[in-house]
Parts: sequence; structure tokens; C-alpha cells
Amino acid sequence: MNKRSLLSLSLILAAAAALTFFKVPLAGSQGLTLVAAQVSGDLPLADLDSAVWQQATAIDVPLSAQNVVRPMMLNTNVKSITARALHNGTQLAVLVEWADDTQNDSMVRVQDFRDAAAVQFPLAEGQPFFCMGQQGGNVNIWHWKADWQADITARNDMHTLYPNMYVDQYPFSAAADPIVAAPADYADSNYLPALASGNLFASASRLSSVEDVIAGGFGSLTAQPVEGQNVQGYGVWAEGKWRVIFSRDLESTETEDASFGAGKVYSVAFAVWDGANGERNGQKSVSQWVSLQIEGVAASPAPAAAETKTESVSYEGVLWAVVPMAAMLLAILGLAGLAFLFSKLPNK
Amino acid sequence: MPEVYNWQLGRKMAYVYEEAHPQKQFAAVFNINRCIGCQTCTGTCKATWTFSKGQEAMWWNNVESKPYGGFPQHWDVKILQKLDEAHQAAGKKAEWDTAQTGEAEPYGVYNGMTITEAATPEQQALGYLPPDSEWRAPNFYEDTSTGYKGDNLGISTEGASLPEHQTWFFYLQRLCNHCTYPACAAACPRKAIYKRPEDGIVLIDQARCRGYRKCVEQCPYKKTMYRGTTRTSEKCVACYPRVEGNDPLSDGVPMETRCMAVCPGKIRMNGLVDIAEDGSWAEAPNHPLYHMIKVEKVALPLYPQFGTEPNIYYIPPRWAPRAYLRQMFGPGVDEAIARYVAPSRELLAVLQLFRTTQKMIFRYEIEEGPLVLETEVNGQPWQMYDDTVIGFDAQDREVARLSVVEPIHERPVERLNSI
Repeated sequence: MNKRSLLSLSLILAAAAALTFFKVPLAGSQGLTLVAAQVSGDLPLADLDSAVWQQATAIDVPLSAQNVVRPMMLNTNVKSITARALHNGTQLAVLVEWADDTQNDSMVRVQDFRDAAAVQFPLAEGQPFFCMGQQGGNVNIWHWKADWQADITARNDMHTLYPNMYVDQYPFSAAADPIVAAPADYADSNYLPALASGNLFASASRLSSVEDVIAGGFGSLTAQPVEGQNVQGYGVWAEGKWRVIFSRDLESTETEDASFGAGKVYSVAFAVWDGANGERNGQKSVSQWVSLQIEGVAASPAPAAAETKTESVSYEGVLWAVVPMAAMLLAILGLAGLAFLFSKLPNK
Repeated sequence: MPEVYNWQLGRKMAYVYEEAHPQKQFAAVFNINRCIGCQTCTGTCKATWTFSKGQEAMWWNNVESKPYGGFPQHWDVKILQKLDEAHQAAGKKAEWDTAQTGEAEPYGVYNGMTITEAATPEQQALGYLPPDSEWRAPNFYEDTSTGYKGDNLGISTEGASLPEHQTWFFYLQRLCNHCTYPACAAACPRKAIYKRPEDGIVLIDQARCRGYRKCVEQCPYKKTMYRGTTRTSEKCVACYPRVEGNDPLSDGVPMETRCMAVCPGKIRMNGLVDIAEDGSWAEAPNHPLYHMIKVEKVALPLYPQFGTEPNIYYIPPRWAPRAYLRQMFGPGVDEAIARYVAPSRELLAVLQLFRTTQKMIFRYEIEEGPLVLETEVNGQPWQMYDDTVIGFDAQDREVARLSVVEPIHERPVERLNSI
């Protein structure tokens, strides 16, 4: 590593350390447990006001701005979420609520960004890095998107955002009225290259408002194949508040899915994006790992391999002990290096 | 951040990724002096690539009238202003040291900050995201000149004369620069943008793009564009099927892109240049692009100070104020205009090759002809020879043959109106 990059790394880490110590409540969610209450009968997967939700204990989870890797946004808007969880032995549902003054559920105009929320589960034993895992420590993320939610009712398109637009024709589109041409009107999807490439963002129709993805570190987020998309979502914005339900079968045999069993303890982390603030990708509010306890009696008496709250060393704990110390050390080294460089500058 | 060598700046600079270079680089020379602003390039590109829903405001190629025009509006003024503010905040000046020039620093050394060096924690490169209103009128300020100062009616009684017109505008032809150090690729948090090792063409992987618009925000030339229907960003693909020689018309050899090949003003020449392992251009004195860019230095990069090492080169307009041109094309402007106004015998021959064939020219030969004109240019003697220039394609087959003096055929008097 050359001096320059060492210097910039030191400065970045020093800034991160400063934030850790003075501003951002990074350790706030340590020790929190979200209990998925066991109920009988159908879960209220699309009923936010169902009395069944009252059987789950709500917890407030503090969030802080992602400040480890560019692009950052240190003034993200959402500082906490409220979470509840339910299960009925076959399905798991997580209700996430947070305050947001504006409803941003379109991604059509270049300046529009969506409101979004995600819940994240480790795929391996232990707790990988809480921001999207790390190499060798994959995570399964359920990513709910406000625009996908809106798309289910009526797909947001150019003509819905620009009602006065006019076009003579869109070549190769079969729509009788060219203005309302939808992705499905293109027999050859090569005119929608993202759709032709299998990118879920360009899908002609939405089956769910939640994208089922895996990640193993920054920049590695990858959507599961269409046949692996098995998470459902339901979100409503009202009176300055988003309420979003994530749901899936408790158990999954897919290697890219987290799988849950009654009577066991797992880990979960949350992230929220405020579209009005231009938040997207790493520019987000994130929580640290929270324990997720699935109420009930374990089906098998043998200790389950998937159980994560074990004696294993918590990577996150180690990281947050080591990073600030390393940052301070590097900052000192960096400053010393800077002083050294300045001392070598010729006097003019 | 790793350091990479940017020969257009004559120094190393900070970039997100380690230095790596393609074997060949897609490049072009645009002769601004010849452009008539007809937008045939623009329309052709649109008719080829961006005619579908969601691409209404997407013009991978555009021609804007400088100094006021811009697509998106005022893109260059805005990024220049941001860069200037960053320099002021850092107490630095964006100055060039032109005392030291050489093979590795043909324009001197840029001592200011590039957009990657002036980046904030929020970005990998300094930038901004233009809203839809700024993409809507791609040719706003078309043909709008600067105002004439000195007469109430805006009319000069003396007319205009070189070297600098008092009232001026010029056309700037723009497409993706397929930069050596693309800011769009640096900006993408998920590495969905890549530069092809075979030809240096920069592409967005449509399967990996998640529509974050970081590239739209941080490409200083604003040549990645967001598509609302697919929720992903798209950009100029350099007509890669043609460049690869896979187009049915191409006869198996690389062809110029559509926008280059249709130019009625014959202002564009497109080609592939060989890149050495260290990123420098492999010496190819008989390659037309190498000759114009590296030997004669008559064609210059657009806003080299941004630091992305763009690969579209411009012969600057000889009538525009030099200070404006130096800001736009760097300190090489005066020499480039001098060389264009009184071209060398070889350059004059090479300039004839523009738009003579759809195939990319990889080599030229010159057959010497007679002296046909002796005159003075800017007080200096200048001779013109009627040389013949021959262009060869990738398989070294002759594809173009032209003389400097265009052959004239006079119709006999009895057939003057025989059509």
C-alpha cells in the first residue's frame, strides 16, 4: 500500500472512529431480541390492522447511517424502526414500521428514488458483517420496494408520470395505442435490454413487492433467480408512516435462503431507505444484528446446525472492538506520515 | 485510492481501481471546424438504439451549440463550477504546467484536482444528478451565439475576422468518450459497468444494474442515462457489433459506428488504436488517429482536467476565443489550431480520409503528387501538394483512395442542362 492510499484510508477510518465515538449510536441494537410470537391460524400477511399483530411484542431498533464504504450519506433520515414478528408453524411474517413524511413509490423519472426497507439474515453460522455480510459470510436479504408495491396495482410507466406525453409510435411494440405500450407489448425483449437480461427490475409484471437477494459483502448484492423468489410483501404508507409486512415459509430448502425453525434463535438486521432524500444502495440507515427468536418448541432435540446464537465468536463484536482501535492507530500513523511528508517538502 | 497514469494530464492520479488497459481502444477524431449541425449523427443513433419507450429523452449522441447549449442543460458549466468550488475549498488552483512537455505529457502537467481527486465521501467522483427537466430539450440554445458588444443593434460594422470572432458559437458533437478511467465505472457501487479488454468500449451490464443512477450522477460528460421503463441506466454501446466486425455489412472487419459513418459534413473519423501494456498508445505513425492525436496533436480531449482520459478527440474551432477553448480542450489548443490552419503535407492528406469508407482505417500510405499551390497562411509561406492518400482496413486491404485536390469534371457545354 502506498503512502497516499494509507493516508486516505487512515483519514476515512479516523472519520469512522470519530463517528463511532461522538455521533452515531452504532452499538444501540446490541442485546435486542425480536420474538416471533407463535399464533394459530392464518397470519395477517396483508392486514396491517389485524388484532393478531397485537400478540407480537414490538421492539424499537435504532438505525444509523452506513459509514463504512462509499457511497455514504451520513445524514440519512430514518433513525429507528419498530419491528414485530409472528409465525404459525409454517409461515413467518415480520412487520416493520417507520416514520417517513413522503411516499416515494415511483422510479420512472431520473430524479425519483424509492422508499425501501430490508430485513437480513445470515446464511452461515455466526454473524457476518452487519452491512450485507462479507466474503465467506453470505446473507439473505428480503428487499421490499415501494415502487414494486405500487406496480402490483398499476405499473408505473412513462405515460403515468407524464400524462401529457405524445409519441407517434414505438417501433416493434404491438400496443394499439402507442402511448400505453408496456413491456409485455414487446415481442422481442431486446428492445428492453434489462428485461432481456433477466433483470427483475424490468419485469413486465410484479408477483411480489419483495426481492429475494443474497449478498456476501459490499457490491455483491445479487437477485435470486425468478424461481427462487419466494418472499411476499405488503406495504402501505399513511399519515407519515410506512408499515410493511415481509412473509415467507418458515423453512426453505434453497441454499440461498435463510431457513427457520420453531424454538430456535437466529439473527436479523434491518435497513431503510428514504427515497425523498436520494437514499439508495449504500446510502441507507442500517441496524446492527438483533436476535430473532422463533417461539415454540424445537422439532428436533438435537442441537440444530443452523442455530446461530451459539458460542461462536461474533465477527461483528470483534469488528467493532478492533476497527475503532485500528482507526485511531492508523489516524495517528497517518498524521505522523503527513507531518513527515510536510517535513520533507522543500522550503519555498 | 490506487494511482493510475493519465497521459492527458501528464501525471498519476487517484482512481478507484488499479491501472489496467485494454489491448485496443475505441477512439475518434471530430473536426469541429467542419460540422454543420445537421444532427444526422443524432438521429441515426436514435433510430438505431434509443427509439423505445423510456428512451424518449435519451440521446447517446447529441450536437450542442456552445457556449450556451448543453445536453443535459449546462452539464459542463455545472461540473466545472463544482470542480472550481472544490479547488477553492482546498486552496488549490486548476492550473497546467506547460513548461514540461514530452512523450508522456504531451500537453504538460495538470496540477489541479480531477473529479476523482475532488470526490466527497458520498461519491467516488465529483458529480450531480440532472433532473428530467434538464434532459428534455436536447438542442436548447441551438445556433445561439454570444452577443456582439459595441453596437446597440448587435451588428458589427466591421464584420468578423480571424483569429477570434467577437460573436461566435460552435457545434460540439458528443457521445460517450469510452474513457480510459471511466467515472461511471468508478461510481457504480456494484461493478455493473465494465470496460472491454478487446476494444476499451465501456458498457453497463443490464443484468446487474439496479438503477441507482450513481453513474448518471458521476459521469462528468453525462453520457449514462436512466430509463424509467426498465428502471436501469443505459449508455452508448459504441455500436459494438459494427466495431467487432459482426455487422452483416462489415465484411468481417471493424466498421465505424453509425453516428460516425453517416456524417454528411465528414467531420468524424473512428478507429481502434493499439494500447501498450503501460497504457500508452503503441507507436503507429501511419495510423490516421495516431498521426492526428499523437504526432500532430491537432485533435484534443474534451475537458481533460476531469481526469477520465476521454477517447474522443476534437480539432478545436479556429474562430472561438482561445481562453474558452483552453478550458474545454486543455493547453494544447493554440498549437492544435496553428497546425490545423496550416497543415503539414502529411496531415492535409490524412484529413482527406474522413468519411470515405464505413470500414475503420488502420493504416494509410501517401503517394506524393505535384505542388499545386504556394501561398501565405498567417504571414508564413505554405505549400499544397496534390498527394494521394490510401486507407487500409483491419485486413490491410485498400478501402479508400483520395487525392488532396478533388477531381473536377466539367460537363461539356452542349450538355449543361441535360438532366
